[in-house]
Amino acid sequence: MITSIKTILSNLLAIYRRELQGYFASPLSYVIAAVFWLLGGFFLVVLLLGPDGVIAFAARQDQAVQLGLGAPTVDVAYEFLQYYLGFLGSLSMFILPILSMGLYAEERKQGTLELLATSPITNWVVALGKLLAVATFYTTMVLPLMLCQAIALEASQPAISPTLLVMGHVGLILLATSVLALGMFLSSLTSSTVLSAIMTFALVLFLWIVDALARSLPGASGEALAHLSLLKHFTDFTQGILDTSGIVLFVSYILLGLFLTAQSIETLRFQRN
Amino acid sequence: MIDVEHLHKVYGSTTAIRDVTFRVEPGEILGFLGPNGAGKTTTMRILTGYLPATSGTARVADFDVHEDSMAVRQRIGYLPESPPLYLDMTVAGYLTFVARIKGLPAGDRPQRVESAMARCGLEDKQNVLIRKLSKGYRQRVGIAQAIVHDPPVIVLDEPTSGLDPRQNNEVRQLIRSLAGDHTIILSTHILPEVSATCNRIAIINRGQVVAIDSPEALMNKLAGELTYEVEVRGDHAAIQHHLDAVAGVAQVEDLSPDSNVAPHRFRVTAHQGAVPGEAIAATLINAGLGLGELRRHQASLEDVFLNLTTEEPDSDLPEVASTEQPAGEDF
Repeated sequence: MITSIKTILSNLLAIYRRELQGYFASPLSYVIAAVFWLLGGFFLVVLLLGPDGVIAFAARQDQAVQLGLGAPTVDVAYEFLQYYLGFLGSLSMFILPILSMGLYAEERKQGTLELLATSPITNWVVALGKLLAVATFYTTMVLPLMLCQAIALEASQPAISPTLLVMGHVGLILLATSVLALGMFLSSLTSSTVLSAIMTFALVLFLWIVDALARSLPGASGEALAHLSLLKHFTDFTQGILDTSGIVLFVSYILLGLFLTAQSIETLRFQRN
Repeated sequence: MIDVEHLHKVYGSTTAIRDVTFRVEPGEILGFLGPNGAGKTTTMRILTGYLPATSGTARVADFDVHEDSMAVRQRIGYLPESPPLYLDMTVAGYLTFVARIKGLPAGDRPQRVESAMARCGLEDKQNVLIRKLSKGYRQRVGIAQAIVHDPPVIVLDEPTSGLDPRQNNEVRQLIRSLAGDHTIILSTHILPEVSATCNRIAIINRGQVVAIDSPEALMNKLAGELTYEVEVRGDHAAIQHHLDAVAGVAQVEDLSPDSNVAPHRFRVTAHQGAVPGEAIAATLINAGLGLGELRRHQASLEDVFLNLTTEEPDSDLPEVASTEQPAGEDF
C-alpha cells in the first residue's frame, strides 16, 4: 500500500515536472505570459491613475468629506480589488484555452501518448500531473500581478485585509484550474492543438452565457444556473464571501475534467485503427 | 517469455488480426515479417497493453497483458513505429523522465540512463535537445527509451525505418547485442533485416501468421527446391545416366536445344534436404566428362516471403467485379 502510494506520487511528480518544464521551454508560454502581464499591468495603471481612476475618485471623495458633504460611502480599495480581479478573470478566459490546448493534443500528435499509455502509470495520474503543472504555470503568471496590487493597496484608507486579496486570487486560480481541467479534456479529444483551443474557447463563451442567464433569468431556473455558474462563484470569492458550495463547485468541475480526460484516453484505445 | 494464444482484433467491421498464436522463449529474437498493414503493429500494441484484444490471450513474463497490465508494462520496453519523443527535452532529460515513469528506483536512474546512452551511442548528444537531432539519432533515442529500465522483454516496431545503411547496421548490431539478456520482438517489412538479426521469424499476412520458424528452416521448408544448372561436354546419354545415378538427385531436366551439339545443359533438382552439388561434380569428373559449369540456385528468403504474402488471383475476383458494377454509369 505504502509502496503503491509512493509510486503514484513519484509518477505524478515525473509527469508534473516534465509538463512544467515543457511550459518553461516553450516560446509560446513566454508570449502568453508577456501579453498577460502587459494587459494586466496596463489595466492596473489605468484603474489606479486614469482620469476616472481609483485615486482620482478617492481624492474627490476626500474633498467631499472636507467640505462637509458627508462621510465616504464607498470603500475604494475593496471596489478596486473586485473590479480588477473581475478584469483578470475575463482576461484569463482568453488565455486559458491557449495554455490547455497542447496538454494532450500535442502528445497525440507527437505519438508520445503511446509511451505514456504503455508505461506503468494510470491515466488519472497523467491527467492530474498535467493539470497541476498548467495550474502552476498560471499561478506564476498571476503572482506578480497580485504583488503589484498588494503594493498599490498598501496605503489605502480604510486598509484592505490581506485575506481578501489572497482569497480573491485563490478564487481566480480555482476558476482557472476548473477551466483548464475542462480544456484538458477537450484537448484529449483531438490531435489538433488549434481545434482544441477553439473548442475550449467555445466552452468559455458557454460559461459566460450561463453566467449571464443566471443573472437575468428570474425564479428557480436562474437560481439553479447560478449554482452551476463558475463565474458567479468566482465573483463571490472576490467579494470575500467564502462559501463552501463555491469551493465544492470548483473542485467538482476540476474532478469532472480529470474524470472525462482519463475516460477519453481510455476509450481512445478502443477506437484506434 | 511471451505466450500468445488465438489473438483476434476487430476494428468495427475489419479484422486486423485473426487467430494469432506464437511463443517466444527467453533470450530469443523473434522477427515479425509482413507487408504493411498485415497486423504487425496491432499485435505489438496488444502485447504492450496499448490496445485490448477482441479475444484470445497474451501473456508476457507470465502476466496477462490485459488483467495485469501494470505488471506487464513494467517488464516491457516498447519502441512504437514513430519514436515517442518530447522534442523540447534533452536526450538525458528525456531518458531520465522515461526511467521515472517506468518505475525505476531513484538510485538506479543515473546509472541506467548512462548505460542506455552508451549502448545506443548517444553520449555525445546527451545534452542536446531532441528537436535538434537527426532522424537516425532520434531513432536511437527511441531504442534507448525502450531499454532504459532494463526490461526483460523488448518490443521494437520497425526499429530501422528511415535509417541509412550504416545506421541500419549499427542498430542491428545493437539489437543482437541485447539478445540473451532480453527477449525481443521486432517487426519489419525488410527481409535482410530479419535474416540478419532474428533467431526465429513469424511471417504475418492479412492478420494471420502464415509461417513461424528459424530463418534456415523456413527457407528449407518453404523455399523448397534446390536446383543446379550443369554445363557438360561429352556424350548426351552418358551424362544423363551419370546424373541420374547421383545420390540426392530427384530429377534431371535437359535444357539443351539439340542433344547432338556439345556442350549440353541440364537442370538437376535435388531431393528435399539433400545438397548433391559436390557429388554431381565428382561423378561427372570421375566419369571423364568435361564439367564446364555448375551453378546452384535456391529460393532466397525474399522469394519465400513473396510466395507467402503475394495475393493469388483467386476466385473471389469476379465477385469483386460484380459488386462494383452497380456503381457504374449504366446503373
